[in-house]
Amino acid sequence: MEKEEIYERLNNVFRDIFDDESIVVTAETTSNDIEDWDSLEHINLIVAVEQEFGIKFNMNEVTTMKNVGEMVDIIMSRMNK
Amino acid sequence: MELTSFVFLMFCLLTILIYFIIPKKFQWFILLISSIVFLFWNNFNISTVIQALIVLIPTYILGIQIEKYSNTKKGKLFLIIGIVIILGQLAYLKYTNLFLTTAKHLLNLINIEYKFTPVYRDSLIGISYYSLIMISYLVDIYRGVCKSQKNIFKCALFMSYFPILSSGPFIRYNDINEDLYGKHEFDYTRMCNGLVRVLWGIFKVLVISERLSIFVNAVYGNLGSFNGIFIVAAAIFFTLQLYTNFSGSIDIIMGISEVIGIKLPENFSLPFFSKTITEFWRNWHITLGAWLRDYIFYPLQKSNIIQRLNKKCKEKFGKKIGKKIPLYLTMLIMWILIGVWHGGAYTYIIGSGLLQFLFIFLEDILEPLAKKINSKLHIDMNSIGYKIYQIIRTFLLFSFAMIFFRATSVSNAINIIRSIFNFDIPLFTNISLIELDIFDFIILIASLIVLFIIQLIARKGSVREKLSRKNIVFRWIILYALIFAIIIFGCYGPNYNPVAFIYKQF
Repeated sequence: MEKEEIYERLNNVFRDIFDDESIVVTAETTSNDIEDWDSLEHINLIVAVEQEFGIKFNMNEVTTMKNVGEMVDIIMSRMNK
Repeated sequence: MELTSFVFLMFCLLTILIYFIIPKKFQWFILLISSIVFLFWNNFNISTVIQALIVLIPTYILGIQIEKYSNTKKGKLFLIIGIVIILGQLAYLKYTNLFLTTAKHLLNLINIEYKFTPVYRDSLIGISYYSLIMISYLVDIYRGVCKSQKNIFKCALFMSYFPILSSGPFIRYNDINEDLYGKHEFDYTRMCNGLVRVLWGIFKVLVISERLSIFVNAVYGNLGSFNGIFIVAAAIFFTLQLYTNFSGSIDIIMGISEVIGIKLPENFSLPFFSKTITEFWRNWHITLGAWLRDYIFYPLQKSNIIQRLNKKCKEKFGKKIGKKIPLYLTMLIMWILIGVWHGGAYTYIIGSGLLQFLFIFLEDILEPLAKKINSKLHIDMNSIGYKIYQIIRTFLLFSFAMIFFRATSVSNAINIIRSIFNFDIPLFTNISLIELDIFDFIILIASLIVLFIIQLIARKGSVREKLSRKNIVFRWIILYALIFAIIIFGCYGPNYNPVAFIYKQF
């Protein structure tokens, strides 16, 4: 899967979770950029991303990923396996 | 060993002196010896040695095994065994009375008479800290975050690193192992920075916290004798006492560790500027919150049970409300656990658990309503006035919950709350019960103003960094002022009975 497609699908997940149609994520997007993205919403987001792409993050990744770029890298590495 | 005692300061001085004199490859070993001395200082007997080994040996062996079998069923089994051993001992030593009291209440509900005598078991200092720290070590190995420690003595140092035993913060193996076992050069600037922090911590504890405790103890100890205003003042003062004691202890701990060259995670970030209780807990006892988030909240929220519940609730109540129900459930579990961790009594479960959950829950569900009301009344929620109102409200809510935290029992807490309405007692009756003179009150108010100003400056960046950019004369004046303030205004010596660090009993 191409990176652009992953970002496209991620945008939909983010818009759905945070109820904000104007969200556009980039590799540099972090929890500071989206108002409602706190530790409580983080886990809902993770589960929604897992469902969208049919993958599983491990707990280490859940607690250490720093931005959307890292999330995309993990998604790509899982899907290309 | 009290953190502000002369013995402790000498103990640190000696440790640091030897640490920088001996060959660097033995440095970590000196820390281990100091840590063992500190761990058993007040409590050295066969049972406490066994207590420490019950955590150390299984954690050491299982850590290596979990690494070997990571991501397999066997690895998971080893992890569970480790957690059960560590938590089992912690519960046995700390929470037996809580279980017995709960059993008593439950049996009374179905009309069965059950009586028990409370049991008090000797436990090592820091057991509530090192137990959770060792659990995080095992889980991190299982998750692949860190490698296991193959040297049992190094593992023992990680478990017992002496600065953190009395009041935290919680450390993670991956963040600290390089510093802990690494070689450190003596650094003059680092020493000065660390020293300023230690002094600031001692100032908070001895000048502010100890003095506040005299007021709080007098009022709470003579509930029927004071006008309600004094009860409210005591509740507010207790929150300040708790904060200056706990954050002051953390300053001492972090300052000492800084001199050694081992960086510890921050545990406070100006909590009293928080506008909601939710925000407050992101800035108060930060490392405990992070521990619970990573090792309880996330795994619970991701678990199949909660996810299934999530799906069902969304189908039944719609997306917005549906996803909140399982969230509130996991939060409730987490807050009860925070309460239990703070001490095996209902006062802690209510004060630092259930009430905090209630406030956060109400903040969340009432937010839309508050927005509507404020817009109808044309109140600008971004104005400074509104923000100040929110900050004061958060402080008062937290102080209210701390009435339970401080109380000797739930009924005592209810008595305190009732006493708030004691308006028929004339205002300054029995004021002589508070053993503070006008001089003490002036020091108290002045030092609280200093604290407030420092915190205002700290909002715009590290105060110590700003200080280090000033010229040397100014820096020494500040340093000497701190030392003299502590010596002259500190509450210690034979006439005072310093309360033990509030957090150390956990």
